[in-house]
Amino acid sequence: MSSPSKILRKVRLASFLERLIQERQVFAPVREGEVILIREIESPSQVVLEYPNAKESPKSVLFPQRETLFWYRAEKGKAEVDIPRDKEQGRVLFGIRPCDARGLLLLDKVFGGDCRDPYYVGKRANTVVVSLGCDDPNPSCFCLSMGGGPCSKEGSDLFLLDVGDRYVAEGVNEKSAALLADETFEKLDEETAALAEKVKRASGASMHPVVLKEKLVEQLERLFNDPVWKDLTESCLGCGICTYLCPTCHCFDLCDEAAGTTGERIRVWDSCQFPLFTQQASGFNPRPTVKERFRQRIMHKFSYLPETQTMPGCVGCGRCVTECPVNLDIREVVTSLSKGNAR
Amino acid sequence: MRQLTTDIRSIARKLLQEKKVQVVIGFERGSMPLRSRPCFVRKEEDVERLVWDGFCENTLAAYLPKRKEKVAIVAKGCDSRAVVELIKEKQAQREQVILIGVPCRGMIDRTRVEANVAPKRILQAEEREDVLILKGSDFEQALSRSDLLHDSCKTCTHPNPVLHDVLAGQPLVEKDGDSFSDIEAFDAMTSEERWAYVSKEVDKCIRCYACRNACPLCYCPECFVDASLPRWIGKSTDASDTTIFHLMRAYHLAGRCVSCGACERACPVGVDIRKLNRKLQKDVKALFGYEAGLSLDETSPLATFRPDDPEHFIVNP
Amino acid sequence: MENPYVPFLMRIEEIIVETEDENIKTFELSFVGKADEERFVYTPGQFAEISVFGKGEAPFGMASTPTRPGRLAFSVSKIGVVTGELHRMEKGDVVGVRGPLGNGYPLESFKTKSLVLVGGGFGFSTLRSLTNFILHDSSRKDYGHLTVIYGARRPGLLLYKRDLEHWRERADLQLHLTVDKGENGWQGHVGFVPDVTRAVAPNPRNAYAVVCGPPAMIHFTLPVLKELGFGDENIFLSLEMRMKCGIGKCGRCNVGSKYICRDGPVFSQQELSRLTTEAHMQEGCTGHGARCTEKHR
Repeated sequence: MSSPSKILRKVRLASFLERLIQERQVFAPVREGEVILIREIESPSQVVLEYPNAKESPKSVLFPQRETLFWYRAEKGKAEVDIPRDKEQGRVLFGIRPCDARGLLLLDKVFGGDCRDPYYVGKRANTVVVSLGCDDPNPSCFCLSMGGGPCSKEGSDLFLLDVGDRYVAEGVNEKSAALLADETFEKLDEETAALAEKVKRASGASMHPVVLKEKLVEQLERLFNDPVWKDLTESCLGCGICTYLCPTCHCFDLCDEAAGTTGERIRVWDSCQFPLFTQQASGFNPRPTVKERFRQRIMHKFSYLPETQTMPGCVGCGRCVTECPVNLDIREVVTSLSKGNAR
Repeated sequence: MRQLTTDIRSIARKLLQEKKVQVVIGFERGSMPLRSRPCFVRKEEDVERLVWDGFCENTLAAYLPKRKEKVAIVAKGCDSRAVVELIKEKQAQREQVILIGVPCRGMIDRTRVEANVAPKRILQAEEREDVLILKGSDFEQALSRSDLLHDSCKTCTHPNPVLHDVLAGQPLVEKDGDSFSDIEAFDAMTSEERWAYVSKEVDKCIRCYACRNACPLCYCPECFVDASLPRWIGKSTDASDTTIFHLMRAYHLAGRCVSCGACERACPVGVDIRKLNRKLQKDVKALFGYEAGLSLDETSPLATFRPDDPEHFIVNP
Repeated sequence: MENPYVPFLMRIEEIIVETEDENIKTFELSFVGKADEERFVYTPGQFAEISVFGKGEAPFGMASTPTRPGRLAFSVSKIGVVTGELHRMEKGDVVGVRGPLGNGYPLESFKTKSLVLVGGGFGFSTLRSLTNFILHDSSRKDYGHLTVIYGARRPGLLLYKRDLEHWRERADLQLHLTVDKGENGWQGHVGFVPDVTRAVAPNPRNAYAVVCGPPAMIHFTLPVLKELGFGDENIFLSLEMRMKCGIGKCGRCNVGSKYICRDGPVFSQQELSRLTTEAHMQEGCTGHGARCTEKHR
């Protein structure tokens, strides 16, 4: 069910954002030093929309790196627990890229399901996702190969496409209706609609596809114990950049931070790439080296998640490709695994 | 550059042919423009993968600790200094390492390159001696190489490998002593100003530990951040925990850091990590007259105990 | 919305020191909020995450049986931060309990069948729960012949000595105790659990086997069961992996396409052999127990 498409002229964007900021928390791409990040904005002038993609994914808006699950007070013989209440105010995730919006779909599956995570689900329910289509992908982008696309609307509530001096705004579901009702949105004319189609058709043309020789899932099953993993992972430093910047990675840890008899139980991001992630109390670690840990990442994203959540744990945003200090390219890894041999 | 590539390949080929080493750790072309990356060559036919250019920025010495094989490393000045420290700290044996020394003109900082043309996308980059030529879908631009170097390369005073078994290419002119001019401003700050500066930088940190993992001298099997008994710092991006991480790591590296810059190159969010290391380098030089990585025979002042070490500040504080 | 991260508050009612080295204690807990008791409905084989506020959480198998309401029991080995603090706690102290978690033993499949429970050391915890559950008046007739084989390294390390005495007196189960190494005063059998299993030679017909214990014990017991004719679909194991959230989200216990906390920890050998080799690493590792000193790079 989608609302009709409308136009938003760029000169009127600021006043639209101004109104949004008054009613809701708005998160948008901003420049911090040399880096573009998704942050809460106070003023439309902070927003940067001419950008390839934010350095970090917007997952931190719904799944913060540090989140208080509850506060506690514990003394001899008694304890009490206090749960934080979610903000009533609605939120808008504005101007994120389609790959990141799609990434939210995977997080929805993980944190939803039979046993729902109220911290994520609560924030997600009151967040409207306004994505911005891409017309000039990076050399590192490969969303098309992962089932998405530079103009994919999956995971979005309202999809914007830059066609020069204006955006075409396509409502994807009823969540966008309230936004589209704003006075800044105008009727879509045929000429603009045609231009939008042209932009969409051209948008993916320059993207390098990831060509898989054989069905990846089968090859991954077969190659689990193959020595090829040693070669593929030898340069890996074992840091957490790929997982932290990834829009779909969601591993976390639970720990207590105490000050005397009070404290909080917090959830913090963790990474399967960190050496102690699977270390057991006995000292045994089923994944003792980078080889096993890197393999886990690939298997989880391209074999296990497709099986359990019906979508791969990768949306092709390319952040791990550009940010990996040793340029360990996930596209090359899965391509060579699909061929059944080393790179 | 091309000559160096040829030289490195022929040296590597010979070493593998003569079975002097089991692996040559060098660089190969990356998968993106402006990238070269570490590669591990074990077979002669793979020697053709090795390249040398202005993007060979990783500190390959980081792959040395606890390696059991005989290994050759394509080593820039900073790599060789790191290897010297690693050998002194018994993380490798001198006999198992063959250093293919490469005098280094400095490595190119791709974030600086990208900032020069942003928001245009770079699709191709070609390095020619002193010029970097960038091409996109609708532009072409030439930039001067010397404007694009990493900060750590700008302050480097030892571009020639201090230790090497074979040298590729010709030695470069050594620079005069380190003036530490890059930390003049920091040095002049008051405590409050320094604290404010550090806090601002640390605020960006996402605790990915890329700085630590890229560092050749960070090789502890269990890093203090991971210890749980006792738990020194929390895992979250809480400001005080993150500050302690950076301060303590800097102090753990005092007298050991060779200022290769791998830490700040690895950092995805641009934390100015090296500032603290540079300050400590200056202090160690002033207090102990010592610079890390220059000689296998020089003992590291902070890692060596002598019975006559000054102790008045402990017993009579 | 229910919040799966918030624990029930429970009070320590009794602490039983199980082993002579005092490293394993069983904690009997009661609900601080009486209404919470009705919300905690569990079956043998499930586990819970116990919170020691200020230190964190750790997972423990249910050592009590749901047929005895009002109390939950967990056996805790002192090994780290949370367990260390728990061991310092006293009667009356309050902890948090999140659960029940995991899938528990497949009781429906077990009905009318014979059961062979093979346990070693600390892993016997959930088998104690299962044994007491089956032996309860309300359940006994639902299950067939019951064989329990339980071993520890030394007599002083056998858990649940009170239970063992009660079980010995019953005619409706066959109990075989063994220790790796005898000591003065020990009248019972001396030998490894896999060998005892071979000697007991339980009949595989219409029977299920459940094996819980250290990886080495499992590694040598499985072939014995196979020799005796137990099929992979009739052998169940309770897997261990480092766990945190307990609800299949944090990723820590992910093995193959399963989360040990949510899809397990109980798996049939048939399911396990379909999982990737990582699962077999659990069984095959000798669990040296020493802190790994290789650089984790």
